[in-house]
Amino acid sequence: MTYDQLPDEWKEWLSLSPLERFARGERMLVEYIAMGGSLDPDPDPTSPFDIPEEWRPDVAHGRAGLRLLRRGAG
Amino acid sequence: MGGQACVFYGAAQVSKDIDFLVLAEPENFLRLQEALAELQAERIAVPPFDPAALARGHAVHFRCRAPDAEGLRVDVMTRLRAMPEFASLWERRTALVDDAGVEYHLLCIPDLVQAKKTQRSKDWPVIELLVTIHYRENARAATDDHVEFWLREARTPELLVELCQRFPTQAAELTACRPLIRLAIESSLDDLRTALDAEVRAEQARDRDYWEPLRRELEQFRREHRNR
Repeated sequence: MTYDQLPDEWKEWLSLSPLERFARGERMLVEYIAMGGSLDPDPDPTSPFDIPEEWRPDVAHGRAGLRLLRRGAG
Repeated sequence: MGGQACVFYGAAQVSKDIDFLVLAEPENFLRLQEALAELQAERIAVPPFDPAALARGHAVHFRCRAPDAEGLRVDVMTRLRAMPEFASLWERRTALVDDAGVEYHLLCIPDLVQAKKTQRSKDWPVIELLVTIHYRENARAATDDHVEFWLREARTPELLVELCQRFPTQAAELTACRPLIRLAIESSLDDLRTALDAEVRAEQARDRDYWEPLRRELEQFRREHRNR
């Protein structure tokens, strides 16, 4: 998309300096982890590195921070 | 060089890992191993940390256990598909320094765009955004190299049409190496979208071809690891 087509939130992001963006990105990552987010890769069947059994041994259904309590029928 | 570089440039807001392209020299590998030891980084998955595997194009994956970096994933590569050697990429890099004196060395945007041309669907919107950002930041003082980069790599139909109207001579010259530019010159937006999609599929196929022998080798590494 062109710059004019970007949402306002993204234009605000681009108005920051590179170092400000990096610092904010770090803060967002800290908040994400504090909320139970996982640093494991997101499932991506188009990636040559998408090997779920190696990358995400403890995550149920590939969702961050979830553990399987009971497996449903079927 | 990956998602973190995109955060610096504005094409992403967060990245869950850090990708490093490193100079493949024995002394540098020692420094890298010292840094990984400081991060208490453990190798995960395959392949093993082996300069020969890195030289063939593999990425080696680590997870940090040091308290300040607990769980953080670090990927290391020494070679990128269809990209120049490290020395050339280093020469063209973007370097930043923060108030504490910490330096950040990033692939320049044109190199990052090349590095992002993968089979992964999620990389292509990032490429589009990187070119848009580069154009916005350099449009007022465009050099010939800038114009060529935009015309070769722009992925937004409206931006390509704008570029062809603004730089008609360069656009006409580049139609031989990027035929869809002709559709942008003609402002055929629907046909241009179709051609851009086809361009992505062709590049993804090239990336899959590049990775096919590496994937087979990864399978072999896994079998060997399981049989130990």
